[in-house]
Amino acid sequence: MNYPDESTYGTKADIISTVEFNHTGELLATGDKGGRVVIFQREQESKNQVHRRGEYNVYSTFQSHEPEFDYLKSLEIEEKINKIRWLPQQNAAYFLLSTNDKTVKLWKVSERDKRPEGYNLKDEEGRLRDPATITTLRVPVLRPMDLMVEATPRRVFANAHTYHINSISVNSDYETYMSADDLRINLWNFEITNQSFNIVDIKPANMEELTEVITAAEFHPHHCNTFVYSSSKGTIRLCDMRASALCDRHTKFFEEPEDPSNRSFFSEIISSISDVKFSHSGRYIMTRDYLTVKVWDLNMENRPIETYQVHDYLRSKLCSLYENDCIFDKFECVWNGSDSVIMTGSYNNFFRMFDRNTKRDVTLEASRENSKPRAILKPRKVCVGGKRRKDEISVDSLDFSKKILHTAWHPSENIIAVAATNNLYIFQDKVN
Amino acid sequence: MEVQKEAQRIMTLSVWKMYHSRMQRGGLRLHRSLQLSLVMRSARELYLSAKVEAHEQTEVPSLPARSPDPRLHPLREAQAAAEAASPDGEQPCSEPMDTQEAPRAEETPARCTPHPAKVSRKRRSSSLSDGGDAGLVPSKKARLEEEAEEGASSEVPDRLQPPPAQAEGAFPNLARVLQRRFSGLLNCSPAASPTVSPPACEGKPACRPADNMLNVLVRAVVAF
Repeated sequence: MNYPDESTYGTKADIISTVEFNHTGELLATGDKGGRVVIFQREQESKNQVHRRGEYNVYSTFQSHEPEFDYLKSLEIEEKINKIRWLPQQNAAYFLLSTNDKTVKLWKVSERDKRPEGYNLKDEEGRLRDPATITTLRVPVLRPMDLMVEATPRRVFANAHTYHINSISVNSDYETYMSADDLRINLWNFEITNQSFNIVDIKPANMEELTEVITAAEFHPHHCNTFVYSSSKGTIRLCDMRASALCDRHTKFFEEPEDPSNRSFFSEIISSISDVKFSHSGRYIMTRDYLTVKVWDLNMENRPIETYQVHDYLRSKLCSLYENDCIFDKFECVWNGSDSVIMTGSYNNFFRMFDRNTKRDVTLEASRENSKPRAILKPRKVCVGGKRRKDEISVDSLDFSKKILHTAWHPSENIIAVAATNNLYIFQDKVN
Repeated sequence: MEVQKEAQRIMTLSVWKMYHSRMQRGGLRLHRSLQLSLVMRSARELYLSAKVEAHEQTEVPSLPARSPDPRLHPLREAQAAAEAASPDGEQPCSEPMDTQEAPRAEETPARCTPHPAKVSRKRRSSSLSDGGDAGLVPSKKARLEEEAEEGASSEVPDRLQPPPAQAEGAFPNLARVLQRRFSGLLNCSPAASPTVSPPACEGKPACRPADNMLNVLVRAVVAF
């Protein structure tokens, strides 16, 4: 990875809760705690302004979800957007799925650059005309107007989840998608909003026997019958929908035996998987738990093929991280376009990249103070013990309120989006 | 003592977090509740084992004749059987949703301290059948201390093995102590299969020390 270049966009809004590039990388969507979606679009390359090549500007902003109240259970339903997933583009409009804890919505984002003028029954402001005053008939014409991007909700998929939705995933058939909550996974058809198929149900008959919940789920990128889901116990199950209607029996079960020397009071919590992602090739899956990122080969279930330590220096601090709730943070992880580099976030606005081929890793920081537009990001280092060098930061100085939970990588280029609380940072690899 | 205090502090903290999470927008979160209850369970077991150890160290070898002898013998047998079994332990297949070794190991010391009077007590779904939640329910504390004295868990300290030291950082003592205690609990063989449970224990073969808070939580979830 060469020297990144930075453009910073402060959203001024609430805390960003999800970030996702679309399939071409032309658009970047963010969702926030306030239920809003902001979409950025990459500028077209222009010969006149070489330096502004490929910058992302705000394209559309809309309110996706509103706070709701479940009267039956006396519960407020948060409007926070948990996940956004794009559909591949099939016509001029863009489609994305956004979800909060209970409801998934399909949004259509389209451009309008023409406006009809010359209605017979309405005047220019849209007020109805008195029919008595109409003496001539004319055909309305389309006239150019300033570009307007509008977002309309096309489908609302509601009332299918008793527990909180943590994942959505679009199937490679582009006709179905799944939504997963703590105990169940449902399969939807995009056209049908009043029905969904339940394909995984791990709710025990007696809730007192509950020991495990679903934490993330994703469809295979090419095989529309295959999906995986991860659990709070650190296991991953791969299921084939052709085997049975209810995929309660997995086809493959991925679990690494626990290292007894690492056993501690909080072992169970930190082994919970917070994110699972298929590689673009479909050959590997990557999982993130509290301290590590692991890469698994689909053909080997008994252990991961690679394990990367994200911030192992926190292992001795688990008790205080439990006290300040940081131990429950759910970090995401992403692949680059060629599946050669993986990236995930950490604390102090640090994020980490691991090159799978060279086995090199780097820690970078997303902050205004340390970087200016077009500045080069400097690798950071956390000093674990002993003498601290000049540029290093000691573990005790880390700011745990500054966490990077959500990141995204452009599907084909070295452009990354990093969400640091309520700021979005976009870094580009500048090759001159 | 230090261990007990820390364990109790963590239990209290967990209870507070559990309560606080119910106040949050969006309501009770199942995953969070599960994680909190896991920590609480671990803390409780740690507290119990520490208490037992403390009493072991201060007590005269002959146990007070509070409990009938026949009850002690089956307990010792169960523990002998447990010790003799392979340390890897079998996963009793009757509990498919079990959280691997930890609760099974926790069961063994907990089962060592059943109160004879409890057997006749009617079982309720929100069972307080396990008197082991002393840290959470002050009124039960006295009973717990009785049981800890009676408990024939002399084997427990033997099984506490020092693990590789890993203590570092802000809580070196706690980390070391927790790791040592916890590893010790885990080294307690989990092989005490349900059928070998002492007769004084609750009648259900697949019984498990009911986690009071977990019960309250999951009932809340069921209603949810």
